[in-house]
Amino acid sequence: QEHTFRFQSSDPSGNPNFELQKTWADSVSEKSDGRIQVELLPVESIVAHNETQDAIAAGILDGHITDTSYFAGKDPAFGLIANPVGAWSNPQEMFDFMENGGGKELMNELVEPYGLHFIGATTPGLEAFVSAVPLDGVDDLKGVKLRAPEGLVQQVFAAAGASPVNLPGSEVFTSLDKGVIEAADYSVFSTNHAQGLHDVAPHPVYPGFHSMPLVEISMNKQKWDELPDDLKQVLEESVREFAQRQVAALDENDQKAVEEAKASGNITIHDWSDEERAKFRTIATGEWEKVAQRSENAQKVYETLTGYLQEQGLMQ
Amino acid sequence: MEIFGSLKGLGVEGGTLLMFAMLLGLLVTGIPLAFVTLLVALVFALGWFGPMAVPLITSRVYTFVSSFVFVSVPMFVLMAAILDRSGIARDLFDAMRLMGGRLRGGVAIQTIVVAVILAAMSGIIGGEVVLLGLIALPQMLRLGYDKKLAIGVVCAGGSLGTMVPPSIVLIIYGLTANVSIGGLFTAAFIPGLMLASFYVIYVLVRAYLNPAVAPIVENAGVPRAEKIRLLKGLILPLLVVAGVLGSIYGGIASVTEASAVGVMGVLLSTVVRGEFTFALLKGAALQTLQTVGMIVWIGIGASALVGVFNLMGGINFVSSLITGISDNPTIILLFMMLILFVLGMFLDWVGIALLTMPIFVPIVKSLGYDPIWFGVLFCMNMQVSFLSPPFGPAAFYLKSVAPPDITLSDIFKSLLPFICLQILAVALLIAFPVLAGG
Amino acid sequence: MDENIPAAEAPREHGESVPEAGRLGRWLDRGGIVFAAGIVLAMLILMQEVILRYVFNAPTIWAHETTVFLCGIAFIYGGLYCTARDRHIRVVLIYDALGPRLRRAFDVAISIVCAAASAMFAWAAWLMVERAAFRPDGSFRLERSGSAWDPVYPGLVKVFLMVVLAVMAIQFVVLAWNYAKGRR
Ligand code: NA
Ligand code: NA
Repeated sequence: QEHTFRFQSSDPSGNPNFELQKTWADSVSEKSDGRIQVELLPVESIVAHNETQDAIAAGILDGHITDTSYFAGKDPAFGLIANPVGAWSNPQEMFDFMENGGGKELMNELVEPYGLHFIGATTPGLEAFVSAVPLDGVDDLKGVKLRAPEGLVQQVFAAAGASPVNLPGSEVFTSLDKGVIEAADYSVFSTNHAQGLHDVAPHPVYPGFHSMPLVEISMNKQKWDELPDDLKQVLEESVREFAQRQVAALDENDQKAVEEAKASGNITIHDWSDEERAKFRTIATGEWEKVAQRSENAQKVYETLTGYLQEQGLMQ
Repeated sequence: MEIFGSLKGLGVEGGTLLMFAMLLGLLVTGIPLAFVTLLVALVFALGWFGPMAVPLITSRVYTFVSSFVFVSVPMFVLMAAILDRSGIARDLFDAMRLMGGRLRGGVAIQTIVVAVILAAMSGIIGGEVVLLGLIALPQMLRLGYDKKLAIGVVCAGGSLGTMVPPSIVLIIYGLTANVSIGGLFTAAFIPGLMLASFYVIYVLVRAYLNPAVAPIVENAGVPRAEKIRLLKGLILPLLVVAGVLGSIYGGIASVTEASAVGVMGVLLSTVVRGEFTFALLKGAALQTLQTVGMIVWIGIGASALVGVFNLMGGINFVSSLITGISDNPTIILLFMMLILFVLGMFLDWVGIALLTMPIFVPIVKSLGYDPIWFGVLFCMNMQVSFLSPPFGPAAFYLKSVAPPDITLSDIFKSLLPFICLQILAVALLIAFPVLAGG
Repeated sequence: MDENIPAAEAPREHGESVPEAGRLGRWLDRGGIVFAAGIVLAMLILMQEVILRYVFNAPTIWAHETTVFLCGIAFIYGGLYCTARDRHIRVVLIYDALGPRLRRAFDVAISIVCAAASAMFAWAAWLMVERAAFRPDGSFRLERSGSAWDPVYPGLVKVFLMVVLAVMAIQFVVLAWNYAKGRR
């Protein structure tokens, strides 16, 4: 083979996402007739999840498959584009924005100065919300102690009247179990279910209303630039196909987990009405503007994003 | 000859062997432990890749020191340092001695019970070994207990923190394997208590075979008023324990926050007893800084070394090693245990977990084993790694606070029987998976 | 009762920096109080967070990040503090069997090796700081956490790590020099 690339994922090796990402690595080798080999490494095998950008720029890693919001500390723009809370109702809307709405060009404008090239986007899909108390609308969020990860998500929940608690992922389970927190933004339904979160928080909201992370597949810019055009095309195409495969597979996992949860009899799945979802989205978009003010790039993301949403009639 | 990259010629097999040889070689020369693994990581980063790979080490150091999971370590050490400077610990042990009555080895057994309670209050090791080393060890020595027995009880008992739920090892495993953390905690409960009871039985057997190792304390002559005064020594420690456990199980504080509740409780106790001074707090805080500096830097290098090894292709190498050894799942499993044992001799648990979990989990799943049972088994293996020489973190933590006349080789000699008990527990978990809900 | 056995109760005093660490070592020893106080402050912040959340249902957005920051810089400084005080654990299997002259040679060699490694790490940390303290266009901006509160802690910790590694290299050079001179 001509090229061997070492990519680090932001998922651990036992996670279904990682298994799916491996199929991407295999498909790259297949589609390039073995001219590109991708060695996919699980999270933290070389550097921590939020240090991969630096490692790729330094040439230690060649690329990563990761949630873009991990780099919000470098530039708030990464936080806004990675998870514009309330913007997307399903993965296809986000993919269309990336392909046809200027998303891809925007991502490259953001990551290229850092020494990376953005190949394409995927997502695990709309996350489900974990809750120990019944939540049927925005008003129910009032005063609820919930764990939200870094960035916009936390801000939006605070604006909606909840009390966001900063907790690392490793403390979510015990804290829900003992009642330190009542709810948590964690992961997709099937993952939440597999890790036993529904055993201690039996009122999940599914489909979620709050979060659909952008997972970027990017690589070292110099190495990208050195690739011949046909291989560049192979990589881009493989990511597009992979994104569809991942969304379909995880959706299937979610369905299975939902059936299991329903059958268990102990878990009540809550589904918010369209009005409630719209109410939450209005609160969220109010917060976008605040993030936009934090950096020039974030402002650029805000304008591109709202421009696209208005054009598509997804936003007034 | 080009130095940078020259090690690459060894191939990953040769490189791995050289790595172990270097670890062992540097370990015995008297280089500060904290720098042994860091040095090996540096040599391989430079020798395999060149200077561009060195920032990987500093990146991992940064990640290590800014992890939330380690916050409870300074809290436990601070608690220990305050207890050490107040009369609380002494009064506690005087009261325990009274309650231990004529049971041989009573105070050692009570120390194990205290260790289990501490383990239920924390999810990590480091702090408890220091705490028991500062509090229980001098008291047992004062009461005439055999030095080796006392050391073993303190190190083995203090290591239970990651075996008895809550446990950071199980949480990290659950996140890696995508299995229920609650399920892991439930499954680890009995094996954790089983291991603690092995320690108790061992103390009893030793004490009854050779009464000299655990002298009975005569309480007969103690007047009633004195007994009541002594028993009062239990009140404050019990209140602190109740406060910490209550805040965890009552949903008031997260596990890490609860360790701060413990410090506050101990601090208030010194105020109640009229012992509080700023000099006491200052001395305790400075000792904490020194002890955690030592504890954390011992772990930093292992994490860095794993990063370098993985960049060398370590993950593929180890998985092909395992899957290539046999088609028999039992042999593969035993081989994984062997790898964990050997790694336990050279690396800190964080390094072992970071290196092996991502490799073992998919293999275990594909072999059809119950991933929850394996998580508990993994956790039990980490117990061995805390004690096993030459790199035994629990021994190092104890050494940092033990009286200077207790040497590392004294400590390791004392730990051998306890390591055997841990290996017995590992074997039982494999032979009878039902013990861990498998 | 054996009330009169003072034995192990007296709080063990932990001395100070070793003489070979020189004036730098004494400064580092004194500086320890700042970071030790940070640990106590971290404890108080966690307590406050528990009370605000449980009693007043008003968790803060800054408590956990600040706690991790305070502990993180204490961990980093703690390594330097132990170096100045020569309190890092060593396995002295071979070392103890040596005569005084060879021991001194070992002390010097170990200090030089550790100085070289620390210097190398300090350089690597500078590469990290270049990306954590400056934007791609070269203007100054400390890396933030990206949380809703968005403090500059990550940038600060990275800069602090670099400084500590550099000072550690100097401390090891001082140690090597004084061991070589045989000052006791
Ligand atoms: Na525990
Ligand atoms: Na060990």
